[in-house]
Amino acid sequence: MTAVDRVLTTHVGSLIRPEDLIPYFRKIEAGESYDEPAFERRLGEAVEQVVKKQVETGVDVVSDGEFGKSGSWSRYILGRISGFERSNEPSVPPMAGKDHRDFKEFYEEYESQYGYTGIGKGIQAGTWIVKGAIHYTGKTKIERDIQNFKKALAKTKTVDGFLPVVTPSAAVIAARDEHYKNEGERLQAFAGVMREEYQAIHQAGLLVQVDDAYIPGKYDVMCPPAPLEDYRKWVAGRVEAINAALSGIPEDRVRFHICWGSWNGPHTNDVPLRDIVDLIFKVRAKYYSIEMANPRHEHEWRVFEEVKLPQDKVLMPGVISHCTNVVEHPELVAERLLRLAHLVGRERVMGSTDCGFAQSPFARRVHPTIMWAKLAALVKGAELATRTLWGNRQSASAA
Amino acid sequence: VKSSKDRILTTHAGRLPIPASCQDLPIRLHRGDAVDQDTIDSAIGDVVRRQLDVGIDCVGDGEFWKARNVAYYGAHLSGIEVRPIRQGEVTTTRNSTGERQEFAGFYKDMDSMGTLFFVPGEKPMPPDRDRMVATGPIKAKGTAAIDREIKAFKSGIERAGGKVEEAFFCVIAPGWLDHFIFNEYYKSDEEFVFALADALNAEYKAVVDAGLILQIDDPGIVDWWDMVKPAMRVEDYRKQIASVRIEAVNAALKGIPEDRVRYHLCWGSWHGPHTHDLPLKEIVDLLLQIKAQGYSFEAANVRHEHEWRVWQEVKLPDEKLLIPGVISHATNVVEHPELVADRIIRFGEIVGREKVVAATDCGLGTRVHTEIAWAKLAALVAGAKLASQRLWK
Repeated sequence: MTAVDRVLTTHVGSLIRPEDLIPYFRKIEAGESYDEPAFERRLGEAVEQVVKKQVETGVDVVSDGEFGKSGSWSRYILGRISGFERSNEPSVPPMAGKDHRDFKEFYEEYESQYGYTGIGKGIQAGTWIVKGAIHYTGKTKIERDIQNFKKALAKTKTVDGFLPVVTPSAAVIAARDEHYKNEGERLQAFAGVMREEYQAIHQAGLLVQVDDAYIPGKYDVMCPPAPLEDYRKWVAGRVEAINAALSGIPEDRVRFHICWGSWNGPHTNDVPLRDIVDLIFKVRAKYYSIEMANPRHEHEWRVFEEVKLPQDKVLMPGVISHCTNVVEHPELVAERLLRLAHLVGRERVMGSTDCGFAQSPFARRVHPTIMWAKLAALVKGAELATRTLWGNRQSASAA
Repeated sequence: VKSSKDRILTTHAGRLPIPASCQDLPIRLHRGDAVDQDTIDSAIGDVVRRQLDVGIDCVGDGEFWKARNVAYYGAHLSGIEVRPIRQGEVTTTRNSTGERQEFAGFYKDMDSMGTLFFVPGEKPMPPDRDRMVATGPIKAKGTAAIDREIKAFKSGIERAGGKVEEAFFCVIAPGWLDHFIFNEYYKSDEEFVFALADALNAEYKAVVDAGLILQIDDPGIVDWWDMVKPAMRVEDYRKQIASVRIEAVNAALKGIPEDRVRYHLCWGSWHGPHTHDLPLKEIVDLLLQIKAQGYSFEAANVRHEHEWRVWQEVKLPDEKLLIPGVISHATNVVEHPELVADRIIRFGEIVGREKVVAATDCGLGTRVHTEIAWAKLAALVAGAKLASQRLWK
């Protein structure tokens, strides 16, 4: 992407799958056979449709909706690596921390209705065990996703396209390890594996977006009792692994997404952005996607009153929340963009969402009609902000 | 209505979670079952106690013990009956909005789940098959019914045991009763609304005479915008719908001192897209004609948060107060106290710190999970404290 003359828009990546794709994923998750050619055909079409719809809505930097992924935004990787075996022993919920303890009844009701962390019911239960060395076996799948996306992009005009992928630190976090000596070694192995996937995306000319909800989310699990410093040390190790996996890819082709977990829960023990922002910017990326639209993190735009955004970096603040059915007013979207642009510069803010709308094929953070209305509000709000920031002239399209 | 003399005071819009001791109350009230008064008084006591513990300054009864059905309104007003709905009729005008047409798929899901709020663990009410209709002259049936309610609230306050500085009691405005009590008697809707206003006057007086702050609940003032058929231009809506309802509310307030009244409007508390909501700026001048001192309105949810700027353009009359929502019932995420403080401060900087009382957008009870409702009220109090430190530094 070259210099911009308006506030561009994007989102975090996952979009709600079309109804007719979901039965295939149910079968894939259950390990049952399904009509593979029919699925592949329909998947290609669906990606084409969702790219077209994003463009029609006015989104500038688009994704494939993560339609090709089974499992979830992080566990999809299990279908693309070797070394793991599934056992039926119940898994320890990796994200249940203080918030789960403080709002026990709420979480019981919420997760019994919407599945663990609200990402839908039907994701394979059990524990994953590392039985041998981890290798990347997902070439066919990532190539298929790339091809589906590129074909769709070729049929329309966009500013750019990105494919979301999981970070080494967030891939299969609940696993039990019977192979690697320690967590550090496993993390290193994951970095090597993920690197292959990132390279494939980059070499195809697409932006790589690395997703990590566990870095911010781990705080709620660790602290208390652990002090903030222990947690920061833990984060620093993860950042190193992410950078190892990203090696060789120019920063300006990388987006980094963090969030505090996309479930519509209280989030009262989320780590403040201020406490990790320095570590986050150590990830070798140009674009940073950070939640700033939900009421637990909306005030954190002020972090940039004190923290200088490193040179050449661009913020993709969430100005649309997936945690409410109410559709953001474009004036609010504009206000959220403007206050940040005034702090870091108008070219360094891209309007985005807090998180994806469907972290698994079975997740649905809001109804699809509301999702699209929210993306339309995002585009409208970015136009309003552009008018304020660049004056009233007709803005030419960028890139 | 107490103003924020030396710190930001807090309150909320009325409805609070049902206490654990009477979880089955809604369904019993819905069926019109008799409910033991002591159970209610003691539950109100629990809810008042909890508000005091959290640090809410102007407390309410929680409203969880009132049903909006014929058993309730029939005790207050004459001329009301219930009859089965006919082909093509709705039980409330909420079910015939423009938004429903635009987001048909979303509302279909909502209807099949039997929810307006998507609260995990909620027990949906059975769908209504009846509608309330006015079939004769609407008259107040004395004040026995409202007196009983006031007595229950006061008894609850007593049981709570703490010092209550100020307490408010909600009664629905005439211009909102007619979205679920349908006129089948009066020649015009206007006549009907004014008849409701006349009947309500005695109730409003009873609340104020009891020493309570009267809160008039009037979502109708903005909600009719998306319900009126056929759709209107803003000018016509202001004239034909809003002004009439404001006149009616003022008629209902006849003889009541303005400084004992706060007025609550909202765009409907259901968890929907709200893309058809009438902007506040289109109606704010009319609202200021209402004979109330305080104005409680939504300013925390994402459709109305930006409207704090309306007050940059509109001068708030000297004697009036704002009670903006700085906590939303439309998300499970608990507001960060810093966000609450930011929201309060921007109002304080425009209209003056002493003229802002911090509140919720709408009632929290049954709109979010009980645990979350109370955490949100705690965030409200924490945020008001931060704002006070900054506004009175």
